[in-house]
Amino acid sequence: MPGGGGRDLLLEIKGLKTHFFTDEGVVKAVDGADFPIARGKTVCVVGESGCGKSVTARSILQIVDRPGRIVEGRILLHRESEEVVDLAAMAPTGKAIRAIRGKEIAMIFQEPMSSLSPVHTIGNQIVEMIRLHLPMTTEQARDRAAELLERVGIPQAGRRLDSYVFQLSGGMRQRAMIAMALSCRPNLLIADEPTTALDVTTEATILDLIKELQRDLNMTVMFITHDLGVVAEIADDVVVMYLGKVAETAAVDPIFHDPKHPYTRALHQSIPKFGDTQRGALEAIRGMVPHPFARPDGCTFHPRCESFMPGECDRVAPPAVVMESGTTVRCLLYGGSDGSGAVRDDAGGHAGTAGGEAGARAPGKGASGPRAADQGAAG
Amino acid sequence: MGRYFIRRVLYAIPALLVISFISFLLIQLPPGTFADTVAAEMMESASVNESAIRAIEERYGLNQPIMVQYWKWISGILLRGDFGESFIWNRPVAPLMWERLGLTLVLTASAFIFVCVVSVPIGIFSAVRQYSVGDYIATSLGFLGLAVPSFLFALILMYIGFRYFGTSIGGFFSPDFARAEWSWARVADLLSNLWMPMLAVGLAGTASLIRIVRANLLDELLKPYVAAARAKGLSELSLLLKYPVRLALIPFVATVGWMLPQLVSGATIVSVVMSLPTTGPMLLRSLLGQDMYLAASFIMMLSGLTVIGTLISDVLLALVDPRIRFT
Ligand SMILES: Nc1ncnc2c1ncn2[C@@H]1O[C@H](COP(=O)(O)OP(=O)(O)OP(=O)(O)O)[C@@H](O)[C@H]1O
Ligand code: SF4
Ligand SMILES: [Mg+2]
Repeated sequence: MPGGGGRDLLLEIKGLKTHFFTDEGVVKAVDGADFPIARGKTVCVVGESGCGKSVTARSILQIVDRPGRIVEGRILLHRESEEVVDLAAMAPTGKAIRAIRGKEIAMIFQEPMSSLSPVHTIGNQIVEMIRLHLPMTTEQARDRAAELLERVGIPQAGRRLDSYVFQLSGGMRQRAMIAMALSCRPNLLIADEPTTALDVTTEATILDLIKELQRDLNMTVMFITHDLGVVAEIADDVVVMYLGKVAETAAVDPIFHDPKHPYTRALHQSIPKFGDTQRGALEAIRGMVPHPFARPDGCTFHPRCESFMPGECDRVAPPAVVMESGTTVRCLLYGGSDGSGAVRDDAGGHAGTAGGEAGARAPGKGASGPRAADQGAAG
Repeated sequence: MGRYFIRRVLYAIPALLVISFISFLLIQLPPGTFADTVAAEMMESASVNESAIRAIEERYGLNQPIMVQYWKWISGILLRGDFGESFIWNRPVAPLMWERLGLTLVLTASAFIFVCVVSVPIGIFSAVRQYSVGDYIATSLGFLGLAVPSFLFALILMYIGFRYFGTSIGGFFSPDFARAEWSWARVADLLSNLWMPMLAVGLAGTASLIRIVRANLLDELLKPYVAAARAKGLSELSLLLKYPVRLALIPFVATVGWMLPQLVSGATIVSVVMSLPTTGPMLLRSLLGQDMYLAASFIMMLSGLTVIGTLISDVLLALVDPRIRFT
């Protein structure tokens, strides 16, 4: 049950806003995202291209490229010792966040080719990471790096340490990247579309590998993907993002069998039949992702939504509503337009304000309430 | 790596031979020979001594086919280190040339080191602090450096040097050392006089290298491997120097080859202004006077520098970029 109070949380993202201040204007890549990540689970973040998945991931580590920067929100890391730190409040080049990067939270990037240095050996790059966080000599770190390469299934691991990226195949590169990410036994592994650049067979083995490693190391995984087939295979929880906001957060079952948000449903319809995990499938949703500078008012999904309610959806920004099933959804179908519904917004007042405005403008739209309750009973 | 190096050196040899031939051909292209120059001078003094001119033609083989002349010249160089005679100076070319070439190389090399030492850190700073005050200052100074012709800068430096430091104007040496034998004191004198021409020659290079480093680094800074290195927990400075700076310098290393001759030709103008005994002024004079062996030797050596520069940059490139070594 995501969002449920009783769960052991590792990370909480609250009202995160990461904007890019370009010459042409401000790109609100992440614009008020909230979701929790439960300890030891795999949470998949899905959504169309450009909806802010990667920027969210990078925000967690404070490695957003300029001209981007976190402008608002909190990223709370719950340590085993009950200590809670706010990553968003740390200086991006400071010691505190640097000690967390790679050690407590590690990341695998989308393209292993361009994310590893082309002019340093694999061994050099892994050893560097190990020695940064663990008290080891170069020799010890090299041994450990060789073990790691072996662990992720690279043959002749000892010799591969001296290979350069361009000497490895795509699958081997991604394995090396995974080995590096795991080298300091992170609590949280962020994998940003780690298999997009790979062929289907390699993708399957890499997914198996990540699953297996997660179990063995009792690691939490945040997995970013386009591919609902992958979600079905590995997710415990799912976060559906749209235009920098979280449309829906739920456990994997309700996402597939009882999706609430019209956007989540549209994602399902856009999947090709027969389990074909073709890439770019999500592009098939009606309409286009709006231009970053022209975000629609109200619910940002309204120009493409099949359940669009004129006069409401284009005026009221939907607040987060927690359903009985544990699903959290931002859609006026489930309340919020009249200020009713289980409004839960940790980020602060703006959702409440939206609800209040809605109450003034469109009174008596309670019809969505019961419907929400019906569907929510499944959980 | 060893095999790569040997292969590159072997490739350089035919290139050098072709250059030597073209240099020789080139100075034969203008109509007339040294004998005609002498004849013209005799005309001015109103008495043309036909037999003296014949003697000159005979002595230097000026009437023989060009291939024969070339063969004589190049075999002398390869077998005996003999570059022929200078008609104007009435001396063998070799010692004349080596002294000039040596000083030119000292000037060029020091200017080059100066350019690198100054430009690379400033370029890095400019890129990392893009649009900061420091970046604007560096960028504007860079533009200024590109816009000011080096001879003008040389004149300004000479004025400053004379006015405020009492440095002697012109030449690599103070008057006391100008004709002295080589000694440590003379080397010290050379160094104390070197900074002015070094600045004058290096200025334009500094400006353009700052721009190159800045632009290349800006490209590299946003590449995924930089974010990935950051995600490891490296400190900003160490990750900067280890990853993007190294990659940003690769295209620069690749161009060191043709920067060398560029610096040499920049040195010509500065040398004329500062009356420095480098190759430039002497080459100019030898060309005007149809002093063919001297001119051909100079042109060959300077072009040869390009080949050697390219060789050096290829080897450096292979050192910094393994992708080249393995393909
Ligand atoms: N450096 C940048 N400068 C300006 N805008 C940026 C920059 N990086 C990302 N953005 C914008 O932020 C938005 C979100 O980008 P992000 O990379 O997070 O998308 P994504 O969900 O990861 O997409 P994909 O599935 O294609 O990886 C996009 O609109 C993008 O244009
Ligand atoms: S709020 Fe309205 S437009 Fe937005 S998803 Fe819900 S029904 Fe569609
Ligand atoms: Mg992405």
